[in-house]
Amino acid sequence: MAVSLEDDMVNCVREGVGENLVEAYKQRERRIFVRVKPEAFRDALYAIKKRYKMLRLITISAVDSGLDMEYLYHFHVEGAVLTFKVTKPREDNTLESISDMFPAANLIEREISDLFGVKLLNHPQPEHGLVLTKDWPDDKRPLRKTFEGILPPQARPVAEALISSGCVAPISSFIQRKREDAGLPKSPAFTFTDEDAMREFHGILRDVGLAEKTGFDWEKKRLRYK
Amino acid sequence: MVKYALFLGCQIPMRLPSIEIASRRVFNILGLEAVDLLGYSCCPEPVVSRLLDETAALATSARNLTLAEDLGLDMLTLCNGCYETLAEANEALKHDAEKRSKVNTILRRYGREYAGKVDVKHIVEALYEDVGLNGIRKHVTKPLKIRAALHYGCHLYREYKASDIMRKPNMMREIAMQTGVDIIDYGLERLCCGYPSMQADEEFSLKHRLLPKLSRMRSKGAETILTICPACTIQFEIGQVMLRSYGFQFNMPCINLMELLALSFGVPHRDLHLELHRSPVQQLVQKVLRVS
Repeated sequence: MAVSLEDDMVNCVREGVGENLVEAYKQRERRIFVRVKPEAFRDALYAIKKRYKMLRLITISAVDSGLDMEYLYHFHVEGAVLTFKVTKPREDNTLESISDMFPAANLIEREISDLFGVKLLNHPQPEHGLVLTKDWPDDKRPLRKTFEGILPPQARPVAEALISSGCVAPISSFIQRKREDAGLPKSPAFTFTDEDAMREFHGILRDVGLAEKTGFDWEKKRLRYK
Repeated sequence: MVKYALFLGCQIPMRLPSIEIASRRVFNILGLEAVDLLGYSCCPEPVVSRLLDETAALATSARNLTLAEDLGLDMLTLCNGCYETLAEANEALKHDAEKRSKVNTILRRYGREYAGKVDVKHIVEALYEDVGLNGIRKHVTKPLKIRAALHYGCHLYREYKASDIMRKPNMMREIAMQTGVDIIDYGLERLCCGYPSMQADEEFSLKHRLLPKLSRMRSKGAETILTICPACTIQFEIGQVMLRSYGFQFNMPCINLMELLALSFGVPHRDLHLELHRSPVQQLVQKVLRVS
């Protein structure tokens, strides 16, 4: 049975990037979305460039979610539209150019750089000044959002304490002493007093994707924003 | 002896341990056995968590409920917020097969399964239904002559098995009356203390929720605020301090029902560590005990 163009594109990307393909879906006939990890994006491009002769970069969209930058690379491939989605955390404020592979990306990347304040890597003209003046202040890029997630400021300590320790009211050494004076254990039998319980609790939160939703950094055990 | 799995929550053991101390003494005197849950987490707290992600909140509650299922005991809470979160999750998971299946798919990865075998009870229900008013009254050796304004707390009105939302607030009132306190009706009992709205708007919470309650309580001659919920206690105590920056001076004690019961049962006030309160509870108790 003949493989459809859409399936062929997904297979081609999968062969090129392996497990770095995060998701792929067909929105409708001849409209495909493929999400790949940023480190594998160029490999994905090499793969489709090698596979398809009728390939053209239509444009690049950039979306600032507050915590992450999402780049959408729209390609015309043999009568279908293929969009690559690449998400980078805002802490990494760089965009690696693809203008060496697709010269049409040159001006689009510069426009994104001007409007969002991201730094271009491996670009022939990485400096600002295409759609804004060259002396435009870096901290006032018109499409750049404040670096923060969905939680309002007052809710951040609660969410951070809940995810990191399983308890929304961290205990002070003063209270620990008072508890011992009263014949109680220093702390009740909370998740954070038991490694297995903590692992289980964190596992559940990882499984439901709460950390991604709130912008929690598992390594640093705190929210990515203040 | 009636036996429960005790869910202490976060605020009581970490910020208001005098309530935990009092509760354990009261359980002991009344013959309620409370078995501590090991490895429990926040219920999770009802203001932020449940709005953020329903599945995360349900899975967290379900995990806590399975700890009680492991013990084969109904769960007992001392906090209105924990009660609402856990009782509501229990109801949702018992009656919504889709949600239960989704949550159990997650829990099974950790060797757990929510079976819907336990109920969640608020402490006022356990005191009223399992011990009874007579059972409480017979232990009152030091009736406390205090004029108290009751604040039930919004989550105490939540009902899952009956339609009368005043069922638990009335239980709290009747239990309080056994200790000898004179209950002052001030007409704003149903108004929220403002604790949840502190997350969104401090000025609104303090001036449009806490202030009207405190003003009315004081004008009606209340000597103390009587609560059952630790979050409300925190709001009344810290909120009074914060109101000073808006030009309003209050210094009313805020005592918890479990502390009141312990005192009326003759537990020495020093044993309860009432000095941990941020309002003059200790001073009030010393004054009342000197008089009696």
